[in-house]
Amino acid sequence: MTSQFAPPAPDHVPPELIVDFDFFSMPNGCPDPVQIWHGLVEQGAPPIFYTPRNGGHWVFLRYHDVVDGYRNHEMFSTRGAQVPPLEPYPVLQPNGVDPPEHDVFRKLLAPMFTPLAVRRMTDGLQHRAERLISGFAASGHCDFVADYSAKFPTATFLELFGLPEERLPEFLRISDTFFRSTDPDIRAANLQEIFEVLEQLFREKERDPGNDIASTIVQARDADGNQHRWEDIINCGFLLYVAGLDTVTNTMTYIWRYLATSRDARQKFHDRMDDPSAFMIALEELMRINAVSNIYRRVTHDCEFKGVKLRRNDRIVLPNTVANRDVSVFKDPQSIDLDRQVNNHVTFGVGPHRCIGSHLAKREIMISLHEWLRQIPDFELDGSQEASSAFGGPVMGFEALKLRW
Amino acid sequence: MRVIANLQACQGHARCEDLCPEVFSTDAVEGKVVIENPEFAPELEEKVRLAVRNCPEGALRIAKGASA
Repeated sequence: MTSQFAPPAPDHVPPELIVDFDFFSMPNGCPDPVQIWHGLVEQGAPPIFYTPRNGGHWVFLRYHDVVDGYRNHEMFSTRGAQVPPLEPYPVLQPNGVDPPEHDVFRKLLAPMFTPLAVRRMTDGLQHRAERLISGFAASGHCDFVADYSAKFPTATFLELFGLPEERLPEFLRISDTFFRSTDPDIRAANLQEIFEVLEQLFREKERDPGNDIASTIVQARDADGNQHRWEDIINCGFLLYVAGLDTVTNTMTYIWRYLATSRDARQKFHDRMDDPSAFMIALEELMRINAVSNIYRRVTHDCEFKGVKLRRNDRIVLPNTVANRDVSVFKDPQSIDLDRQVNNHVTFGVGPHRCIGSHLAKREIMISLHEWLRQIPDFELDGSQEASSAFGGPVMGFEALKLRW
Repeated sequence: MRVIANLQACQGHARCEDLCPEVFSTDAVEGKVVIENPEFAPELEEKVRLAVRNCPEGALRIAKGASA
């Protein structure tokens, strides 16, 4: 898969469980990073295997193993789980800590992301979608990424954090580097830049609080009535920044890429424009099939999992796209069934770290698709998408998606 | 028949609320499931069963008979 020789695996890894697999790297001509994962399954990779690439890590391919990876936080921690390992790396709040410590920031954030709270954001999201789409609807074409899917969630984040929309390009550039770069120097400089931006933001909100998430975090008090540790406040902002932008962008890009090629699917959504529940069932299937995140865990102690010896600090990658197409759980898993009745996908994870922004993400996508179809009922791919625009890594996606109508 | 939630297992996915809002809602603090009327009307049985089967945490179950 890669031309260079892979580094050796540690001695607790049996040779039959080693696969030379680099999930950041896109083979020449491969149009879609999801394919590199499903290619592994088709080629009969062991359901739990080790690759020496990217610092060395395990991969779980089965749905139930991925679910265990999420739920069993005593064995699989989120703390310091970066792939490749990156030191020093901040302890993200609340995602980077395990229960019960996890509960402090989880409970602080939860009320701002409940379905109820997200429903109150509907008007703002609707206006943003209308405004962005009407900006190019008459032109008959767009680059979906640059013109919509990168802008929409980032502008939403800026609003939720009480930041001006002018800072959009800066925030887009920073998150792009965060997810795409494997160069240690670039990654270290990128972390530094994120910290500086957040430091400035929270200092400003401390002096002049508003009705936004950043102000709520900085004004929150712990059980003793004190402000949370400054480091934790910054790291909580860090998490929300890196978790909520790129993921939504690329999920949307995948969904629109599919809809551009399927008249039937577009029609099904059109037919459900006035039936939010049926619209959501169809969208849930696209959330299953277009799971862009590959999630990291770190083994907390030497142990055995499903007959495989794991060593403390081994890294695990949980590919949601593979779990979501496990034939032992999903009927006819590779086909897209917009009427699928039982759909327990793990796109947002499960267990204590279930994506706290899942309701916001789904509402952003639902409102965007609804408004898009209202203004642009029919659309298609504009020319052949450059394979070079696709990227792998922890969040998979495309640099561009040219559409026309 | 009635439906029972295990709030320890519930992680607030709200799939139940999406699929059967007649029976399930979610709270404003943690976003966990709230069942206002555990003894649901028979015509809702199919929707409730669908919600139960779609809980990613397996936190819902249907019990036969009224509560004691």
